Amino acid sequence: MNFFKRAWLNLTAKKGRSILLILVTSAIMLFVLAGLLIRNAADSATSNAKRSVGATVTLSANRAAAFKQMRSRSSTSKTSRPKLTTSPVKLSDAKQIAQLNNIASYSATVSTSANATGFDAISTSGNSSTSGGMGMKGGSTSGSGDIAISGVTSTSSTPAFEEKSSKMTKGRGITTSDEGTNHVVIESELAKQDNLSVGDSIKLKATTGTKKTYTMTIVGIYKASSSTSTQQGPGATDPSNSVYTSYTFANTVKGSKYQNTADSVTFKVSNPAKVSAVKTAGKKLINTSKYSLTTNDSSYQTVKASMANVKSFADKIVWLVTIAGTIILALIVILMIRERRYEIGVLLSLGEARWKIVAQFFVEMVMVLVVSIAVAGVGGKFVGNQLGQQLVSQQATTATTSSTATQTKGGQPGVGGSAPSGNRKPSDNMSGAPGSHTSGTTTQKQAELDVSVTVFDLVELGGFGLAIMFLSIMLAAGGILRLQPKKVLID
Amino acid sequence: MLKTTDLGYWYDRQENSLFEHVNLEFKSGTSYAIVGQSGSGKTTFLSLLAGLDKPRAGQIELNGEPINKIGLNNYRKSHVAIVFQSYNLFNYMSPLNNLLTAMAVTDSSHRGDKAFAAAMLHKLGITDAQMTKNVQKLSGGQQQRVAIARTMVCDAKLVVADEPTGNLDEENTKYVIEQFQRIAHDQHKCVIIVTHESDVAKACDHSYRLAKHEFALEG
Repeated sequence: MNFFKRAWLNLTAKKGRSILLILVTSAIMLFVLAGLLIRNAADSATSNAKRSVGATVTLSANRAAAFKQMRSRSSTSKTSRPKLTTSPVKLSDAKQIAQLNNIASYSATVSTSANATGFDAISTSGNSSTSGGMGMKGGSTSGSGDIAISGVTSTSSTPAFEEKSSKMTKGRGITTSDEGTNHVVIESELAKQDNLSVGDSIKLKATTGTKKTYTMTIVGIYKASSSTSTQQGPGATDPSNSVYTSYTFANTVKGSKYQNTADSVTFKVSNPAKVSAVKTAGKKLINTSKYSLTTNDSSYQTVKASMANVKSFADKIVWLVTIAGTIILALIVILMIRERRYEIGVLLSLGEARWKIVAQFFVEMVMVLVVSIAVAGVGGKFVGNQLGQQLVSQQATTATTSSTATQTKGGQPGVGGSAPSGNRKPSDNMSGAPGSHTSGTTTQKQAELDVSVTVFDLVELGGFGLAIMFLSIMLAAGGILRLQPKKVLID
Repeated sequence: MLKTTDLGYWYDRQENSLFEHVNLEFKSGTSYAIVGQSGSGKTTFLSLLAGLDKPRAGQIELNGEPINKIGLNNYRKSHVAIVFQSYNLFNYMSPLNNLLTAMAVTDSSHRGDKAFAAAMLHKLGITDAQMTKNVQKLSGGQQQRVAIARTMVCDAKLVVADEPTGNLDEENTKYVIEQFQRIAHDQHKCVIIVTHESDVAKACDHSYRLAKHEFALEG
């Protein structure tokens, strides 16, 4: 017979009390586990966010420097009207930047336009004012085509497709294998109106350069979400007139001097935390008076901030429940041990070591704890899920509200990879073109908490439980064990 | 076997001592009764002999060795068995488990020997059915028999009992006294019983009366 057996005999003999103790301990463990689960889930969600939310660095023309140059020219020559001249990005520069650490991939974007030949572009009432109305970003609109061409490295890497606002419905998207070809992906409404399908050919006539007509082969049809139309501004063509081609074709349409260039090149950074380091390293490789590198890690920062709030709240839950649990359990254990003062006296009179008496109580509580952890393990996932999702949705609402407010104040059209190219006419950078995405509509990715109970969680919970039990027992038994057995037994 | 030298005890002030300069000797194979009025300090004296408390003055020696040198816990564990008026059994155990627990805690030479424990219980009139049910389901007399059986399964040479018959009827009192006499004479142990009952005192080999802070041998 030892203290393990005494503990077992005590628990089994007093079933009602043991069950009550298990229920109270389970309730406390349930909340501690829920807190631990949310905290761990917030941790992993933050690290997942680092990988999945992503951040980008965009290489484009340095407009600020170009404006500065324009102003300095206008001050010296007052006869002619000053012109903003920006340089297209050289792909050789982009390839150098792509060699840097933490760059996962890159995609080039070239925007231009052409006229539909032999088929009808979709005409909207807004579009009718395009030719003589306000063009985007000022300047003349002459020479703009009714089809907006977005030359890309691959459609899948464009923000519209990444954010699922555009989806391929038939055929395939543009890939790197389409470089040097006249393959095109058109919008489903345009395809419907002109009865076009994958494999058909259409003709596009360049509005600049040689004004040549190109025969294009349709390799895919995509559907843009209706929200795209909300991006339309005065002077913009209908979003259904937007087509994707390889960036090489878009350069051909723009003219021979645009070979091996792009309006902008967007680099995906594998670790968003390193986005500043990538930008610094990239700046050393480019002529900063002509080009600029802009970063966009707002989604990552939003998720990071949101998860930090969730984690901080979960930490508070864990500590509050642990402290409250310790107090509640300590009170229960104190009452329980006071009730067993007589038993302690008998054991002391038999010469039992004091540590073995404490050990007996501890073993009893550990047995209760094991059952309680099992109960908490079953219920903790449910409670953690409910609490976690509630927290995340609250945090996401807060984050989106603050993010929208920031963008309203400082949002600049063209951020994200389609800054206007040099000598480009306003229509070349039509808002609503597939390759363009304005900052105001950047989709905020919401981190989800994957609340699941792992062995590690249960071990961690067990650790917390043991600490609570030990503290409670020491608080409760300390007073009695200090006394002489005579005091315990006779007085 | 057990000797007290200048033993004294008081609670707050020495002037109000319960007893002082107590010099007594207790021998193996003998039963002793300590009698006296309520509040005279009988139980306190017994608790000092049992190592449940420390004396304020003087010392107790077991076979020539001061018990504080043995260590009170070790002393209780290896040398003393105590019987209380309220039996002091583990109320969540059966009589058999009570004995087995005592054997385990005191490192008895019969540790773990269920048959030995059962035999001791049989000897004291506890049936097989009674020895496996919860001890609280037994009568007061039966519980006291279990408490006495507990002293018999331990190897302790000193048995101290505080009012062991206080809650018992006449028949059970007689039975319990007989058992203590057997423990003293058959098992050659030293039995010291605190009692206020003259019958119990008369049954013991020697009797000390504690009165006016002093012990006096009565018989």
